[in-house]
Amino acid sequence: MSVLGELGSLVGWERGRIAPAIYFDPEVYRREQARVFAGGWVPVGHEDMVRNPGDYVANYVGEVPVIVARDRAGVIRVLVNKCRHRGNQVCLFDRGNVRGFTCSYHGWSYGIDGRLISVPEEQRFYHGALEKEKWGLEEAAVVNFCGLLFACLDREGPAFEDWLGEDVRWWLRHFVLAEPVGGLEALPGWHRYESPANWKLIAENFIGDNYHFAHTHTSWIRVRHAFQEQGILTPMTTAPHSALRDTAKYSVTAGYRSSAPLGLGAMLTDGEALHERDLQDARFLGKEAVEWVRDRDDRMSKALASCEPRPAYFGHGLLFPNLGLMGYVSPMTGKHFLLFHPRGPEAHEIWQWTMVEREAPEAVKELAVQRVYQGQHMAGVIAPDDVENFERIVEASHSPRAWRSPMNYDIHLGHDQDQLPHLPGNIGAEPSEVNQREFYRFWLELMEPDGDERGGQA
Amino acid sequence: MLTIEDRQGIEQLLYREAHLLDERRFREWLDLLTDDIEYLMPLTEHVQGKVAPAGHPIIKDDKPTLMARVAKDETGWSHVEIPTSMTCHLISNILIDEESDGEVAVKSSFIVRQARKLRDEAWWVGRRHDRVRRVDDQWLIARRCIYLDATVLPRGVSIFF
Repeated sequence: MSVLGELGSLVGWERGRIAPAIYFDPEVYRREQARVFAGGWVPVGHEDMVRNPGDYVANYVGEVPVIVARDRAGVIRVLVNKCRHRGNQVCLFDRGNVRGFTCSYHGWSYGIDGRLISVPEEQRFYHGALEKEKWGLEEAAVVNFCGLLFACLDREGPAFEDWLGEDVRWWLRHFVLAEPVGGLEALPGWHRYESPANWKLIAENFIGDNYHFAHTHTSWIRVRHAFQEQGILTPMTTAPHSALRDTAKYSVTAGYRSSAPLGLGAMLTDGEALHERDLQDARFLGKEAVEWVRDRDDRMSKALASCEPRPAYFGHGLLFPNLGLMGYVSPMTGKHFLLFHPRGPEAHEIWQWTMVEREAPEAVKELAVQRVYQGQHMAGVIAPDDVENFERIVEASHSPRAWRSPMNYDIHLGHDQDQLPHLPGNIGAEPSEVNQREFYRFWLELMEPDGDERGGQA
Repeated sequence: MLTIEDRQGIEQLLYREAHLLDERRFREWLDLLTDDIEYLMPLTEHVQGKVAPAGHPIIKDDKPTLMARVAKDETGWSHVEIPTSMTCHLISNILIDEESDGEVAVKSSFIVRQARKLRDEAWWVGRRHDRVRRVDDQWLIARRCIYLDATVLPRGVSIFF
């Protein structure tokens, strides 16, 4: 029996109570595909993935396979990977450079811009009446925001600026996409793995759960200490992290109570100790790296001269609904961009790509990239322990008997007040569960009311 | 010129290694690797036309990084190996070729089944291209490149291949 009619009481984000039914009910999952994934702006990649005309990468919006392509005129398009004739896949590769796509079933051919170009035996079988201009690949709306590509499958969907509020765009531009210091560069290749449990469980982990780090990843923290003491240097045992004792940490909620949230955890404001930490890490790589770290810091200071205190780094984050972010704790680490693709109520796939700061010296890029794939990555020392937790949640909570027993999201409940009002967004205590609560606030807004009131959508 | 004894020694090295991994004798396994070991797993993708290669592999470990992975499980707090995984490494199709620099190129195929907890499991299948070297009368693995037959990995990697 579906819980769709009870979402208001099951998702008590204001009370810090969320019932596991929303991770297991197939009807909730089905509505989510329409409302959250097909109805909103979902990140699909970066413009670097399609630098040249004819370039494309395959991806998904929810369960819908899409092709992100740059056409001959240089326009970036997001096309649904489905032939309009019988619904067959037209693109079978992860990425490439092509003139177009030909369906393997009956041979309908589409250009890289999605237009239907040729149909076998068109004149003889369709008597010259096939209106090819109406049978191009289905196309999503696309926004290129500082290089990050967003798609909305619903052409009548919300305006991008309404979906992502001004403060969300400010944090994205300045911190996630590092625009003041030259921006980010995407490395080619999807790193993908299956992971158990509902996609929202990992999404809420990234948006606000810094609470788990000390316990879930304790084995790694211990090895890190031990290796440092023994003087054994590896990219991950020397990787800077946010545990500087004298540095204040905050949770950032952009879009607080208003739009699709961007949550950033363990945000650190600038300080001498942090800068010294980064310089020390850079000294191992030589003068060029040190100069770059200094210069970068100067440029960031100028760009954020009006911010007091000046935000410097953050530990983890998520842009609603499914873009996880990590590696922002230092300029010497690469950036993890992780898409959490739903695969049924009890499973998801992680599609991950790596970014580095475009203007960083080669030696910094090389080290930064190692810290990505040795860290929050399918074969890293961090992510597999998270996967294990999600597998255990499925085992413990999937029985319908557990669906209505609410889970606890009480950390700093009622204590969300903005501690740094001069910065965009709402800045609160850390670690907190405010961003998990904000995630479910917006999710519930999309999922309610019931279908009839929304023009009969699922 | 490799002798029959050399070839047997190299085959025994791979079989001994498989048993050490399955018996979770990871410190002894590390001893079968040279200090300058390169342990690699490239990214498997389906690409079409002229595109740039993948930006980085899945794994590129040196000996200290492999030691860190072993040490992580030894803490007793590595959730991904609690309770420990049961693995069975089946190694086959071994092909041994002498190289001009005195090292030996060894190809092998593998099926590894990993079983976790009650009914969670993963099957890992692929090929390894190794370089082995004789050090003080013992054959050691100096380089391993693991080609996994998977574009989407079945779970996070917490075992060795």
